[in-house]
Order: sequence, then structure tokens, then C-alpha cells
Amino acid sequence: MRIESVFNRLPGIKISRKAFVRLCGIGLGGMILNSYLFKLALGKEDVSSGRPHRSVKTLHDLVVAKGEDPYLMTVKAIEAIGGMERFVKKGGIVVIKPNIGWDRSPEQAANTNPYVVGALVDMCFKSGAKRVNVFDITCNDAKLCYQNSGIEKIARDKGANVYFTDDWNFIKAGFDYESPMQGWPIYRDALECDTFINVPILKSHGLTGLTLSMKNLMGVCGGSRGLMHFDIATKLAHLTDFIKPDLTVIDAYRALVRYGPTGGNLADVVDMKTLIAGTDPVLCDSYAAKLMDRDPLSIGYISQAVKINLGNADISKADILTLTA
Amino acid sequence: MKKLVILRRASQAFFLFSFIYLLWLTLRPIVYIPLLFFVAILILTFVIGRFFCGWVCPLGTIIDICGVKVKNRGVNLRVIKYYILGLIVVFAFLGIQIRWIFDPLVITARFVSLNLIPSVTLALDKIFIFLLKSLNFYSPLYDIYRGLKSSILGVKIYYFPHSLITLGFFLFILALLGITKRFWCRVVCPMGAVYSIAARFSLLRRRVDECSHCMLCSVNCRMSAIKEDSDYRKGECILCMDCVYSCPDRATRFTWPGKKTNAQSKRGISRADFLFLIGAAFLLSGFRFKEGAAKKRLIRPPGVTDEREFLNKCVRCGNCMRICPTNGLQPVIFESSIAGIWTPHLVPEIGYCEYNCNLCGRICPTGAIPKLSLEAKKEKKLGTANIDKDICLPWSQNKECIVCQEHCPIPTKAVKIYDEVFQGRKIQKPYVDSSLCIGCGICQNKCPTRPLRAIKVQP
Repeated sequence: MRIESVFNRLPGIKISRKAFVRLCGIGLGGMILNSYLFKLALGKEDVSSGRPHRSVKTLHDLVVAKGEDPYLMTVKAIEAIGGMERFVKKGGIVVIKPNIGWDRSPEQAANTNPYVVGALVDMCFKSGAKRVNVFDITCNDAKLCYQNSGIEKIARDKGANVYFTDDWNFIKAGFDYESPMQGWPIYRDALECDTFINVPILKSHGLTGLTLSMKNLMGVCGGSRGLMHFDIATKLAHLTDFIKPDLTVIDAYRALVRYGPTGGNLADVVDMKTLIAGTDPVLCDSYAAKLMDRDPLSIGYISQAVKINLGNADISKADILTLTA
Repeated sequence: MKKLVILRRASQAFFLFSFIYLLWLTLRPIVYIPLLFFVAILILTFVIGRFFCGWVCPLGTIIDICGVKVKNRGVNLRVIKYYILGLIVVFAFLGIQIRWIFDPLVITARFVSLNLIPSVTLALDKIFIFLLKSLNFYSPLYDIYRGLKSSILGVKIYYFPHSLITLGFFLFILALLGITKRFWCRVVCPMGAVYSIAARFSLLRRRVDECSHCMLCSVNCRMSAIKEDSDYRKGECILCMDCVYSCPDRATRFTWPGKKTNAQSKRGISRADFLFLIGAAFLLSGFRFKEGAAKKRLIRPPGVTDEREFLNKCVRCGNCMRICPTNGLQPVIFESSIAGIWTPHLVPEIGYCEYNCNLCGRICPTGAIPKLSLEAKKEKKLGTANIDKDICLPWSQNKECIVCQEHCPIPTKAVKIYDEVFQGRKIQKPYVDSSLCIGCGICQNKCPTRPLRAIKVQP
């Protein structure tokens, strides 16, 4: 007895056994080829040994500006340290890495003050930068963070490229010494730039005590960032050594003193109206820690950075200029 | 020149594209036809007929496109859709909403939200990545890509683990085309049934002068609305205008009535029909909501309190899942009883409930998820987080972590810290203050332990 194929019973579709086998073969082959091509095209992984070290001579080790207007304070502080021309090449690409990690307003002081970022963007373009990139890998939803922090609008109006990060564009970190950060994915744009300006906000933080410039660099890391919290002090020190920011500007205009790093309550925000600029991230962090009445060496990553000779944590020995804008 | 057919196709294309556009790029609830709008369509139907199905309905358009090559057959099952409509009405009176199974707008919206947008954006994204990686990396193309990310591509590519089931349901509806053209619209669609009833009284009607009885119109009619004797079923005609042009004598026209035309013979609801409806209502009691059966394991969107009311209001259109910025709202498939299929619930492993966001309530077309101000939403409790001390790194291994405490969005932190000294080091151990916790799930989302998270939100 001949049994009719199911396909023959369906109206409009006639298919022979041979054609069916061929169809399955093509489908299977297509899937295999597809996944192979995907790997070929997208599977490439680059390894980098970090940004090259550039020593920039500045007029002072550290400049501290106090004042009412964060934009003016930033401009004055950078001028006092020797001007942006020292850091930015003509036609160079600049990365400004503020803290845009949280969906909070500027008043809640969880993100960098937008006017500080705006001032830096302006100065970079005045010094002849070709491109200024502003980005952060956020903790909350990126769109909301960029909008509500106010940074997206101000930086974009000044001509900077403000963009969301792509989850596929990472480079693996390669260290020439033993490091827990070995192989950690680092956002490509943070490494492939001529100038890296780190613009953190001073605020409290659960695990490390304070979020400062070295902690802010976590925002260029991909992967499972929660896992960075184990042995975070060593990891942050090595990360800073890897990125080697050319300029660090710590925004302490408003400081979140409790319930960081997210905050949310205006009662926890203290107006400090201060801005710290310098080339040595450890020195900047130490000064900021002092501002918050903390011993710099009690912050794990500062003492770890001193241990690997990343910078100077002794404020009394540094040449510090304080000015009022 | 098939002017009217071209016009109809343009209208279908316009409505299909605007349907997808609204879903993709705007914050407008799509499924919901405001009562006023619905009344306007109904009045129009009373005047010109069942135009909605032929000229507007996005599902009808997709079915038309897929069914171009399908052979037309006469299938005499058109009564079924009235039964389905009747069932929906009977259930509505019993307080159970089953419209979500059959509403064509809901079905299309769900397909677009859960299948079309994620797959198209994924494909576009991969093409861009391939081009960027094979060309010069930092080219203007990269800037274009980044620009698109804040518009059509979206910051993140949406992902729905169970979307295959939605796709399967949609493909099943398209597979019904294997039987005949527009099978769904002829036989199943209850919305078509509503318009069909209204269209029986429509003023505009089809007229044939000096028919040569070639039967071409009847054979080709996609709704098999034309009877053997060149008369037609007014309620079935969707004004596709094909018969106007397929008529070799050009004898078919649609005209306004000059004088009264013969009324159609109507079939009322028979005793058998009535008994069938009652019987079916009892048979389908599986849809009945049972207290406690589903509520145990599901984290509902913010502001939803009464599970029964939620199930009855939610039409499963997928708008909230498409708009949720973290992709955390996912369709329920097996987690609840059959009455809960495709309703949204929060899966913190995929995405948490963004503290400063009330989009799901703003977009919900039926108010199943209440519209809340940002301030009110921040106080709505979705559940409570619980820490499993056997997995938690600080508790079980004395490692530094407290990722959950850092991410907690409550201004005074619902995750509190308990300091303990272990081997001379201070170890910070987290615990949850359940009176402060709103169950947003960011702690569970960011918790680094795998495969199980050490902190979990329980509804």
C-alpha cells in the first residue's frame, strides 16, 4: 500500500524525497557556514599592553581650585597647571571619561558635574583636538544615565562625540607582570586615543570607602565587573597603570558623603565647591581623600598604588597651588 | 489601471508601516484603540462596510502578502468567528478576559515586539559589526552606527528566551493560509466578526449589471463573499476591490444606494448556538484564575497588586516588554497557569526594574500596569530581596564583594552592611532591610555569583 506523504496532502506544496533531503542539507550546511563566518568575522580578539607612558611637565604637581562656578573653576585650574596645550596634540583624539554610572541628577552628586566636562571639552577643542570622545560604561540604563546626568547634552553642544559603548568592542589587557587584571576586557576607545582625561566625582563608596579617580577607571572595563570587587585594591592600581591617564580632574563641587556610590538623597550631599587637577592620579586621589577627612593610605587602592610606585601619596611633599576662581 | 486596488494596497502598506513604526520608535500604546476611535471605525463600517479588515488591519496585510501565491478555495466555516466572538463576550460577562488569544492587533503587536524588532535589530547590528571590523575601524561608518544606536537599533539588542513560542503562534496563523486565502479573517477573527455584523447594514454595496455568470469574481474572492448567483454576503466583503477588475465585462461596481435594495436574509442565534456557547464556556474553565496558583513565583511589573485583575486587563500585546529599558520584563510561558501565558513578569537575571523609570505603566494600553508618576513608582514594592548566605561571597568565603549594596537605588540603601573582622581584615557582609527593599532586582542582576545568584528577589 502506498502511503501518501504529509507534504502531498498539504495543498499547494509538493516535494519529493530527494528535494527534501537536499533542502535539509542546504539548511544544515548554511547553519554551519553561518556560524563559521560569524567566528571568522567577529571572533578576533586583540590584546594590548596598555597606553604608552607620556611624561608631561606641568607648572605644579597639583592645582586646587575653589569657587562658585564649576566651569570657571575648571578653566582656571587647567590654566594654572600649564594649559591644555600640554596634554592635547594638534589633531589628536581625546577621551574624556567622566562618571556617568548612575541614573541620577547633577544635584544628587552621583555623576560628574556636567559643567566640568563641558569646560574640558571646550578647552580640548581650543587646543586643537580633532575629536573629543565622551563615554562611560554605565551601571544603570545607559540612555537614562546619559540624559539625567546632563553630561550628554552639554558635551554634545560643545561638539564632543557622546556615544553609548558597544559590548563587542573590547581589547584584552595584557600585563608584563603578574596581575589579577590579566586578560580583562578594556574598552577599545579608552586605549586608542592620544590623550586620556579622567574626570571622576568625589563620593563615598561601600567597598572602597571613596570613589576617586582610580575607581572611576572601572568604567572602561567590560566583563563581569562585579567580580572586580574581589581584591579590588590591586585590580584598580594595576588598571590605573594600564590606562595611565594623562590628566586627572576630580570634581568635588558637590560631594556625596553617605550612601554612595548611588546616593539619591539631597541631605547626603555636601557642597565642597572644590576642583582638583593634576597628572599624578595617586596624588589627586590622596588630596581628595584628605578633603573627606580620610587618611589616604587607609583607602586600599591608594596604598596599593603606592606599593607599585604608581605615584606619590604624600601631600606634604607635593607642590600644590590653591586658587579661587 | 487598477486604481482602487493600488489605493487599497497603499493604505495597507501605510497602516502596516505606521503600526511597526509606532511600536519601534515611539512611546505610544499601539493595541489600544481608544473608544472614540473605535466608535468612528464602527460608524464608518455602518456606512461603507468592513473596510478595516481589507484596508487597515496589519495582520490582514501580512496575511495578504504571504498569501499571494495561495490558491483560493471556498471554505464554508465562516460561522465559527461568531462563536468565538460569542465566547469572548460570554467570558467577559463571567469576568474572564480571553480576547488576548484572538485579537489580531494584539497578535501582530506581540509578534513585532517579541520577534520582529529583536531579530531585525540583531541582524543589522551584526552586519554593522562585520563591516566595521573588516573596514577601517574608526571610519564615519562607526559614527553612523553610533547614531543609529540611539534611534532604530536601540542601546541594547532585546532578547526574549521564549520568543520562539510567540513566533510559532504567529506562523501557525500564517500556516492557516495553506487551507485558503485569508482563512484567519474568514473563519477565526472575532474582530472581523464585529465589523462583519456592522457591515451587514452598510450603505455602500456591490452591484453587478448584466452579469454573464463567468464566476471569475466568485472563484477569486479572497473572502469567498460572492455567492453563485452573483449576489454577495455583505458582512464578508472587505472591499478589496479585486472583483471590480477581475470582471471581464467590467460590470461590477460599488455604489451608494439609489433606492432601497432587497434586505439580506438574516440568521439569528439559534437555540443550538446558545447551548453551544454555554457548554464551551464550561469546557474552557481552565482559563479560570485560581487564587495562589500563579502568584507564588512571579514578579509582576510595578504597581500591579491584584493578580486576578491584572490577568483580566492584560491583553498580552508585549508593549511593556518592548519598552522596558533593561529587557527585564519577559513573557510568562510555563511559570504560571495557562491563564497567565504571555503576561509580563520581571526576570532579574536578564534585567532589573530601573528605579527612575515608569515606562511600562505609561505604555500599557489597557491600564493593567497602572500609570504612575515617577515618585509613586519608586515606592511600589515588587518583591523583597533575600540573601542566600551559603552562596554569598562575603558570607560563605569571606571575600570582598557587596556589589548588591552599591547598586541598591534606595537613597538610604535597602541592603545594609554588617562589619565582621576575619583574620585581621574587615569583611563587609550584606543583609536586606525588607522594610526598605522595593524588589527592583538590580542586586540580583548584578550579583557576580554563578550559576545561582546569592541575592534573589521573591515576590
